Amino acid sequence: MPSVRAMQSVVEFDNVGLRYGTGTETLTDISFTLYPGSFYFLTGASGAGKTSLLKLLYLAHRPSRGSISMFGQDAVTLPRERLPGFRRRIGVVFQDFRLVQHLSTYDNIALPLRISGIQEKDLRSPVTEMLSWIGLSERANARPATLSGGEQQRVAIARAVIGRPEILVADEPTGNVDPDMARRLLQLFAALNKLGTTIIVATHDIHLLQDIENAQMMRLDKGRLADPTGSLKHPPKPLVLKS
Amino acid sequence: MLLDFALPDHERKLIPEGRVSGSMPWVIAIMTFLTLLAAAAGLIMANAAAQGGANLARQVTVQIIEPDPAARRAQRSAVARLLQTAPGVENVEIIPDAEVRELLAPWLGDDVIDADIPVPSLIDIRLDQPANEESLAQLSKQIAPIAPSTRLDSQADWMVPFFSLMNSLMLLTSGILLLLLIATSASVVLAVRSALNTHRETIEIMHMMGGTDLQAARLFQRRMALDALLGGVVGFILAVLVIWLLSMQFSAAGSSLLTGAALPWYGWIILALIPLAVTGLAMLIARRTVLSALKKIL
Repeated sequence: MPSVRAMQSVVEFDNVGLRYGTGTETLTDISFTLYPGSFYFLTGASGAGKTSLLKLLYLAHRPSRGSISMFGQDAVTLPRERLPGFRRRIGVVFQDFRLVQHLSTYDNIALPLRISGIQEKDLRSPVTEMLSWIGLSERANARPATLSGGEQQRVAIARAVIGRPEILVADEPTGNVDPDMARRLLQLFAALNKLGTTIIVATHDIHLLQDIENAQMMRLDKGRLADPTGSLKHPPKPLVLKS
Repeated sequence: MLLDFALPDHERKLIPEGRVSGSMPWVIAIMTFLTLLAAAAGLIMANAAAQGGANLARQVTVQIIEPDPAARRAQRSAVARLLQTAPGVENVEIIPDAEVRELLAPWLGDDVIDADIPVPSLIDIRLDQPANEESLAQLSKQIAPIAPSTRLDSQADWMVPFFSLMNSLMLLTSGILLLLLIATSASVVLAVRSALNTHRETIEIMHMMGGTDLQAARLFQRRMALDALLGGVVGFILAVLVIWLLSMQFSAAGSSLLTGAALPWYGWIILALIPLAVTGLAMLIARRTVLSALKKIL
């Protein structure tokens, strides 16, 4: 008789609140569960709290209240010295790219691999391949300041995905590229997603949803997950595996 | 920690190394230069005090105070003969009358001395042990039957204030060394904090990608070590030049008080180790400063 079990969540937020200093809560009562290999879009107006929610996801902040579980472990009380290990499992595309200005395109993309201790001989091939994929092979030695906004965004995305993270968090990753490049980048995300990476993309552009099959949406409104048309237009569901 | 110094090229690139352009190597060079001068002064004084003290403590001057020149000369010869066989006396040297007159001439004038003023006869003796009250009393007792008006002066007695001054100067030198060490450490802390602020963005990006505090600390400690080493070498070369020139002048002075005022051989080794110690200290402080600063961010 076939047994059925639910896949374990990769991220679980339970009644999470985030407050900067003594101000009002930026995020309030956020609860959701993300599953491995799923693709999520996070939408909402400017100031709704998308970037703050992403910061909690890539462990740049700890919540003011509530609990967050990542990879099956409590991420709120996680000792500081264990954070690097968790962060290496998460790829981040920052809204402002945050490229290291004095490093070349090649070195920026290679950075996560080098931080993880990958040997130079082992990273040359994936970095070169990634450069080719984002169409910047010719700009491998260029510094970020000499790249256009779109090129910088592609480098930021390449840097986030090169380590094949288990979770990819992207803040407006297609904001500065033309529609054709936006589609190519989404295809890259989709390919990564097929390999098992959980993708969370914060975007204003709800048309992107149409490009990704089975993508689910979370919408933030004034710091709360809104029901839309629903808190979740396509609420995240646990994947069911048959063994 | 030494292994941390040898970072691969790609890690070095993370924090740009504008070594010579920054002020830190020159601050370290000045600090090392001053530290080396203070250390050299301390070592020279310690050496002079040890050598001079050991020699002078064994030197005793016998003064034969006899108004009659003939009797004085006779007593001098008899005392010298006695002392040559006396136990504990290593060397006996009669100071010729002409030399004694020469010593006194600047104070009494040639005319007065020639007027047959009774000038004591002097005999310098060196004991095999440092002189003390007991050994001097023993010698006086032996000499008394031959020359009743004899006085024994231990040279260590009149050198006591000089050696006391030497000790005070050595203490002062140690204090200066400590202050220089504190100033150097404070400069390193300020430089590292400034560098940390300059490269905060890079460090934050590294953190978000799973970089550890130690990885970041290694970058800064390496940079600081290179600055300190460069500054240390410059400071060392300048200090050696100055010490060498001063040594030449000391030698040219030819004063008996300055005979021990030279840097002993082990002093050069200690001085050579100081820039390395400053480099090690700079690395350690850089590491601690970075780790302590990074603990404040998530």
